[in-house]
Amino acid sequence: MKLTRRNFIATVVGGVAGIQVTPLPWKFTDDVAIWTQNWPWVPVPPTGEFSEVSSVCNLCPGGCGISVRKVDNRAVKIEGRPDYPVNAGGICPVGMGGLQLLYNESLRFTGPMKRVGMRGSGEFQNISWDDAFRIIAGRISALRKSGRPEAIAAVDGNREGTTASALIERLMQAVGSPNYVRLPSLSDTYRMGNIVMEGRDAPVAYDLENSDFVLSFGCGLLEGWGAPGRVMNAWGMWHDANPAKRKTHIVQVESRASNTASKADLWVAPRPGTDAALALGLAHVIIRSGKYDAGFVAEHTFGFEDWQSTDGRPHSGFKTLVLKNYSPEQVSKITGVRPDVMVKLAAAFRLAKAPVAIYGKGKNDLNGSLYEFMAVQSLNALTGRINRPGGVLLPDPIPLNPLPYFERDDIASQGLKKPRLDRGGTQEYPFTQSLISNFADAINRSPKSPIDTLMVFSANPAFTLPDGGAFKNALAKIPFVVSFSPYRDETANMADLILPDCTYLEKMDDMVWPVGLQYPFYGLSKPVVKPIYDTRNCGDTVIEMAKAIGESVGSAFPWEGFEDVVKERAKGLYDAGGGRVSFDRAAPAWKPQNPKAGDKPGYNSFDDMWKKLMAGGLWYRPLDQAREWPWLFKTPSGQFEFYSQLIDQAIQRASAKDLRIAVRDDAACMAHYATPTSTANRSDYPLSMMPYEMINLASGWIPSPPFLYKTLPDTQLLKETSFAAVNPKTAAKYGLKQGDLVAVQSPVGEVQARIDLFGGAMPDIVYMPVGFGHTGYDEFLKGKGVNPNAIVQAEQDPVTGYPVWWNTRVKLVKV
Amino acid sequence: MKNRANSSKRPSQSGDASPPAGFFPKWLNINVAIQDVGFFLVGLIAALVVGWIIFPAVLYSKQAQPINFNHALHLNPDKVDGIEGEKKEEKCSFCHEFREDGTFAGIPRLAKCTECHEDPGSPLGETPEEKDLMTRYVATDQQIPWLVYSKQPDCVYFSHIAHVNMGKIACDTCHGDFAGNEKLPLYLENRLTGYSINIWGKRISGFYWNKKPSDRMKMDDCAECHTQMGQEQNNACFVCHK
Repeated sequence: MKLTRRNFIATVVGGVAGIQVTPLPWKFTDDVAIWTQNWPWVPVPPTGEFSEVSSVCNLCPGGCGISVRKVDNRAVKIEGRPDYPVNAGGICPVGMGGLQLLYNESLRFTGPMKRVGMRGSGEFQNISWDDAFRIIAGRISALRKSGRPEAIAAVDGNREGTTASALIERLMQAVGSPNYVRLPSLSDTYRMGNIVMEGRDAPVAYDLENSDFVLSFGCGLLEGWGAPGRVMNAWGMWHDANPAKRKTHIVQVESRASNTASKADLWVAPRPGTDAALALGLAHVIIRSGKYDAGFVAEHTFGFEDWQSTDGRPHSGFKTLVLKNYSPEQVSKITGVRPDVMVKLAAAFRLAKAPVAIYGKGKNDLNGSLYEFMAVQSLNALTGRINRPGGVLLPDPIPLNPLPYFERDDIASQGLKKPRLDRGGTQEYPFTQSLISNFADAINRSPKSPIDTLMVFSANPAFTLPDGGAFKNALAKIPFVVSFSPYRDETANMADLILPDCTYLEKMDDMVWPVGLQYPFYGLSKPVVKPIYDTRNCGDTVIEMAKAIGESVGSAFPWEGFEDVVKERAKGLYDAGGGRVSFDRAAPAWKPQNPKAGDKPGYNSFDDMWKKLMAGGLWYRPLDQAREWPWLFKTPSGQFEFYSQLIDQAIQRASAKDLRIAVRDDAACMAHYATPTSTANRSDYPLSMMPYEMINLASGWIPSPPFLYKTLPDTQLLKETSFAAVNPKTAAKYGLKQGDLVAVQSPVGEVQARIDLFGGAMPDIVYMPVGFGHTGYDEFLKGKGVNPNAIVQAEQDPVTGYPVWWNTRVKLVKV
Repeated sequence: MKNRANSSKRPSQSGDASPPAGFFPKWLNINVAIQDVGFFLVGLIAALVVGWIIFPAVLYSKQAQPINFNHALHLNPDKVDGIEGEKKEEKCSFCHEFREDGTFAGIPRLAKCTECHEDPGSPLGETPEEKDLMTRYVATDQQIPWLVYSKQPDCVYFSHIAHVNMGKIACDTCHGDFAGNEKLPLYLENRLTGYSINIWGKRISGFYWNKKPSDRMKMDDCAECHTQMGQEQNNACFVCHK
């Protein structure tokens, strides 16, 4: 028998018929269906035991309490903690997406590394921690031996007052370098304003929850200003679902129709950088009406009326200055706000029961202007809103223990006598601790970098500084750069050595006083998971590094590890007393509470307190609204100073010109408005560019969890291009349509973006979103959009020297 | 010959002896038909062999458990002291426990073993299995990679406490009687799905005359039992596929 075609078909038919009466087709179909559910790239939730770990979010200075859900050892979800005073259950999109910063390996350094590729290429090779310590300690020891400890510098992005920053500053002191440089933020502007007007080296404390009229000068209340969890909660309280119960009025002063401006009861849009004039215009209306808080002004302020100094010189007071220069008509010319709007707004502010004027610029990441802050604070003083419920409160600083004294060796003492490279604290910058823009400038201007070794902690200045790329250029000139970043950011990519920190979910860290909070608050985050890679808490790394350097540097760090230092500092909280380590939702921290005689603090020994502090992650003092007046203001006059005698003294030591103050005489010591200077030619660069921030992208040096890019509208990021929002009128003037690709050119550079026609943009201003244009990190974040910081040409703010980043002259060129 | 060849329109290729003419209709070439049936049967039988014997044999890979756990030994109070509980269910849940929040721990983690077998240096018995446990897992603090016979896909939500505590269903009703096993059964893993043979059932046909709940663990079996128990409302999709 041969196998013919016919026979073959018969066999096949038999086979097909036969297979129908076997389980094969049915079982196979079922199995294939299940097989498709189990492809290796389909994400699968882990199985195991569920647990919740309470910690504190450290992704911004907001300090929200977070509860992390875990399945066995894997963190699977982050939520806000209802048992936490700051956010009371709320959380922002960045905080929610934080797991991507932990588990996304391509964003992170997985162990200590040294550079093998070109600088900026991001090519590194794994080394051991021992080798890493040997390299860095050897380098520092060699510089110290050659008598050049000042050639070691540290850039520190940790917030002031945190244990990590205290350790890094101590390391620089022990090594003997004055070049410890911090990144400027809004908190620095607040601190400096409080020093010059109130004599208080303290953060600002706005009693928002108890206010019934919030006049916000530029604070991005819905964009992440202050402690976002707290502000969102307050916003919810201000906007009761029942309109009849609504008690708080929100006025937003901002040139762009941001989310806050759009949702406010009133949006006032002055030209960028003219907020001070507007605040003084409102002050003018209130003073002219005679209905300011005369009692407060007379008893607790200095420099309101004209006065005479001890040498017999007559001085004009705040009242005279404001009445003379800031009538609504004059202010209208500066700000573009109609005079009648100012009159109505001033009346509404004055007539409210508990109004407060708050100052900010978008989020907290970048500095503000000192005189603008002073103008807003003067408005609060004029209406008696300082040290009053619902106004600006003056709580005491957090009583953390200072680190113990240590002996410096001769090399360190000699090194510390050398001048700071950034000239912070000198006559030109009397109140400024550090100025990173001057630091970069000094390096860029010298033929050979005066800094040999730079250490960068918790910061990504090559991306976040609004300096037109100056810091990045400086980095390229510094012979040896060490990064402690957990992430593959732009600055770390320029580094020669990486000693990676853990991410915020893997380590203990502290959070000192979330921005703007009205009561003293100390948060403590703890490891939610064990470090998943070979990374170490930066605090431990600093201690170990100091020990590796040895000599007097090592003996300045007697601790075993970071936790010991945190504990030692926290002992101060116990010794000071009066704090709480647990939170009852029924008694919000912002509600005035009368401590009763029998009230117990909730702990009976320091060890007990420490245990509870570690478990709950919080310490706070309940709101203590009206404080006794004597000794509250530590200015030379002992009063709130409309006329700052500290600025007066600074001017006498240097000169108004050296301090870059545009006005002369008495006005220079008071809040005032001066037209910003710019070296750019107005006819070449007819527009100005203002960067703006968003709540759904991470702040500062923290990479955005890639999830968040999905929340962006097509008018902010479309594929690889970000947008520049301009008013349709401005666009028409240059013949631009929606989506046109343009080059935004400033005197220092150019970036390309698409045009978004936005009615909420002020004519002649180009608004560009901050957070795009990364060259570091991974495929999800890299090469998306452009970074407006790269074209910012910033002048220096008077007195402080911080960059005026909100007013860069630009032009638009169609590509 | 000539006629038949013409009638079938196809020349016969064999010259064998043929049945007498007239026995079969004219149009049927009987030799060809026999051949056709023959080949049809070859195909049919081959398919049956493939479908019933080869396919099931190829589909499942045989895997041994990492340690041959002896349930019978552990549940024998004469030999092992400390497995508490009066009823069988209580004894099961001594190791296969419910957590405080009511979730079911399933196969115990190493920590459960080390409650008794804590010191790798001093085993409690003399079995080679225990030695294995001590050296490979307890001493190195590695979890034992147990193969789970009843593991369901991730899209299935199953609450043990609802069935055991509220439904009063005994463990062995669904899982079979493990308590008397001296050896763990061989784990047969479906090469396509990655799940155990216990889900589809050991019978490749999937049909049982007197089906026990422990025979199969597919969705239809869940639904069938719910219906029998008068819990038909629990057959709604979202009860299990959350």
